[in-house]
Amino acid sequence: MVEQKEYGHLWEILKEVPDPEIPVINLVELGVIRKIEERPDQDKIIVTITPTYTGCPAKKLFNDLIVEKLKEHGYNNVDIISQLHPVWTTDWLSEETKNKLLKEGISPPTPGDKIITCPHCKSVNTKVVSQFGSTPCQSLYSCNDCKEPFNYFKCY
Amino acid sequence: MKITIENSEAKFIVRLADTSVILGQRLAEMCSKGPTLEEDIALSNISLDLFGRADELYKIVAKLDGDKFTPDDYVFRRNEREYYNIKLVEQPNEDFAYVIVRQFLHDVYAKEAFTQLLNSENKELAGLSEKVLKEIRYSYIHCKDWINRLGLGTEESHKRTQSAVDHLMKYVEELFNFDALDKKYFVDCEKLKATWNTEVDTVLSESNLKRNAVAPLSMRDFRDGFHSEHIGHLLSIMQYLPRAYPDAKW
Repeated sequence: MVEQKEYGHLWEILKEVPDPEIPVINLVELGVIRKIEERPDQDKIIVTITPTYTGCPAKKLFNDLIVEKLKEHGYNNVDIISQLHPVWTTDWLSEETKNKLLKEGISPPTPGDKIITCPHCKSVNTKVVSQFGSTPCQSLYSCNDCKEPFNYFKCY
Repeated sequence: MKITIENSEAKFIVRLADTSVILGQRLAEMCSKGPTLEEDIALSNISLDLFGRADELYKIVAKLDGDKFTPDDYVFRRNEREYYNIKLVEQPNEDFAYVIVRQFLHDVYAKEAFTQLLNSENKELAGLSEKVLKEIRYSYIHCKDWINRLGLGTEESHKRTQSAVDHLMKYVEELFNFDALDKKYFVDCEKLKATWNTEVDTVLSESNLKRNAVAPLSMRDFRDGFHSEHIGHLLSIMQYLPRAYPDAKW
């Protein structure tokens, strides 16, 4: 995860911005916001973000949502810098965030896509239906025990 | 607007970007035409990955070349001879076997190419390569699985897949006619070729498919902007809207 020591009030504000595809988690938890800087001399906020998936249709929307939220709090001059390095990874999701996903019905990423838990009955006896799901970050699975289909958040 | 690319690293990277966007467009054509709903979604997802990859690559190209043009300019304002994609990816979607074989031959190439670019001195390119490799993994597993199933499937699926292999293999030779730019930016061109050959041969032979000898193609190199006739038709569709309405905004 990232250091959030400085500008704590701004980090708190951006925690109010939900992921547009998975509203149960916010952009800070998702790890896309890497750095926030306040430049009082220029009356400006600089937010550094990193994309999750290169083809994520929400990529542009992230920027708009961040700008909009800061505006709501009276920060009208916001610059957004997109940076690829270090590379975003699902390893940045905390256990707490992963539990939120599971509760929401999305099986959280596990290293190497090895043990995939069914969010409905918590069985690990599951099978892949398709590597590609309803969003670029998810795969389709089904549970061999409760027979329910579910989404799995791919490990990146 | 005449789009020119001066910087030598940008000239190298634009080949990867063009290859991604053209293949992305070919797969986008499959949207709503997949054999099953899951496959339709899979091909569209891979297409999205390729567009995203191209977008990031064009941003690097633009930056290296003094930010004179945007990714949209590169994609929508260049003609056939100004595109530098490999010919393999502009080949049309003749049938599902063509779509899968083309993707597989491309993925094996892209996988090794981006692995070598992990060591790039350009931090953005190295970072992007790391990201791209995670995405290619899914596409690669998907196609390899299909090659196995089609090759070992019915008589008809085997016949069609073998025919796609025979046809598309013609467009492979040029990948390995490396020039000075390739030698400068890839870590090891010979390894790129060797890895490709080994992986493709392994998967084809485990799928009961043959790699027949191909007659050399009398077409000049993609690195100089030469193409098969298909790219013009592809561009005319892809570029129609921005050409017709140059002031249109997303």
